[in-house]
Amino acid sequence: MSAPVVASTEEVALSLALAIVASSPAPLLLLDGELAVVAASASFCDAFEIDAATAQGQLLSELGSGEWGQPKVGSLIAATLAGAAEIEAYEFDLVREGKPSRQLVLSAQRLTYLDLNHTRLLLAATDVTEIRATEALKDEALWRNIVLLQEVRHRVANSLQIIASVLLQNARRTPSDETRSHLKDAHQRVMSIAALERQLAGSGEQDVELKAYFNTLCESIAASMIEDPEHIALLVTGSKGEVSAAVSVSLGLIATELVINAIKHAFVDGRSGAIEVGWNLDGPHWTMSVTDNGMGMPKGSGRRAGLGTSIVDALATQLGAAVEVSSARPGTRVAIIHPSIRLVEIPEPMAGADAVNRPAA
Amino acid sequence: MESQGPKKTTLLIVEDEILPAMSLRDELQDAGYVVMDLTQRHGEAIGAARVLKPDLALVNIKLQGHDAGIELARELKEMGVPVVFISGQVSRARSAATVAIGSFPKPYSATQMPAAVSYLLARLAGETSQKCPVGLEVFDIELEASIASRA
Repeated sequence: MSAPVVASTEEVALSLALAIVASSPAPLLLLDGELAVVAASASFCDAFEIDAATAQGQLLSELGSGEWGQPKVGSLIAATLAGAAEIEAYEFDLVREGKPSRQLVLSAQRLTYLDLNHTRLLLAATDVTEIRATEALKDEALWRNIVLLQEVRHRVANSLQIIASVLLQNARRTPSDETRSHLKDAHQRVMSIAALERQLAGSGEQDVELKAYFNTLCESIAASMIEDPEHIALLVTGSKGEVSAAVSVSLGLIATELVINAIKHAFVDGRSGAIEVGWNLDGPHWTMSVTDNGMGMPKGSGRRAGLGTSIVDALATQLGAAVEVSSARPGTRVAIIHPSIRLVEIPEPMAGADAVNRPAA
Repeated sequence: MESQGPKKTTLLIVEDEILPAMSLRDELQDAGYVVMDLTQRHGEAIGAARVLKPDLALVNIKLQGHDAGIELARELKEMGVPVVFISGQVSRARSAATVAIGSFPKPYSATQMPAAVSYLLARLAGETSQKCPVGLEVFDIELEASIASRA
């Protein structure tokens, strides 16, 4: 055979194919049916410290110190050659003596081309050691954040409890009935927020299950503020539902004020009765209400102006909700009505105006 | 103040935070219980419990920066003193359900504790008619064991 001056089309095609493999930026091996190396990319030789000069013609299992001869690699290739399944993202650990092991993702593909007599197999190896390590670090950082947040919430709850206990002792030691009453209110307000922080610390969530929170809250109010449980019953009738932490802290404080107000004013004539804390999370509109069956508001008196009332009004405004006071015949119902609960956004001022027109449920 | 209540019952409070502990003591004394001197130290608590044999010990899990309350509860249990945990570490308390008869998690209002104590003492006396206060978690197996060991 005389040397041709111009290479044949076949030779051109072959050299192009080999050049493509050799220059691939991703580590690549072209193997024949006996699993000998036809071509190895420079990136492959670099990444896995294979001698590029001798690689060609070597069996895959003989490359390097034989680290590519693992049964795992063999089974991947056998499956690919059998055409049973195309296997993507096959992970294995490249273990080499005296060198740190690498985590690889392998994918093998049998090439379809015109020469049916020669099997060719393309093996791509991606080193994911660093990516996996970064992912693990991220997961750990995330986990630490959650643990830290819970720890902070525990501490907040503990600090609030310390403040609450000081207010309670202050209330016990003051000779003035009025001052004592104010201090006990303050104690209860602090406990309302403490209960929420504890619930958040326990759940690890950003949202608050309202039923559990209000049960805890009302139990605490009943223990502190109701002297005779036979006289006034405090009931929680709302169903289960979740509200964001920011909204629930306001709702808890509003409920605290309304319940304390009812305990103090609705049953002053010695009558017995009940106070009911309810809410309705169904549909786009959201309502929370505190209803008592006490003596009701004196005619023409309007709402009692006090710290409690101004707290309720202020928090309702902050939530973009309307406060609606009505007669429960007997007793009084105060409802906080919001057209749709917003979990994070700042409420628009117009949101409340819509709700005012809604009749009480 | 302390001896004309419903029962001449003695309580031990072991709590890391002195101010909530004082509130707790005041409320429980008002409810008629005899409350031993407040302590947050393991040795003091054991020594005092040996002398005065409290009917119930209220123990925080975290004591002086460590989770020493569980070990303290174990020793109190061996002395025949039932323990209720008063701790914000709800899951730790649950995991130590073999050394305590219940858990009343923080943040409790001190005003809630007399009802919880009354309920637990009634259960220890074999009465089951009282309603369990919201927030109080009873470790029934340990409570029954405690009753049996006293009988």
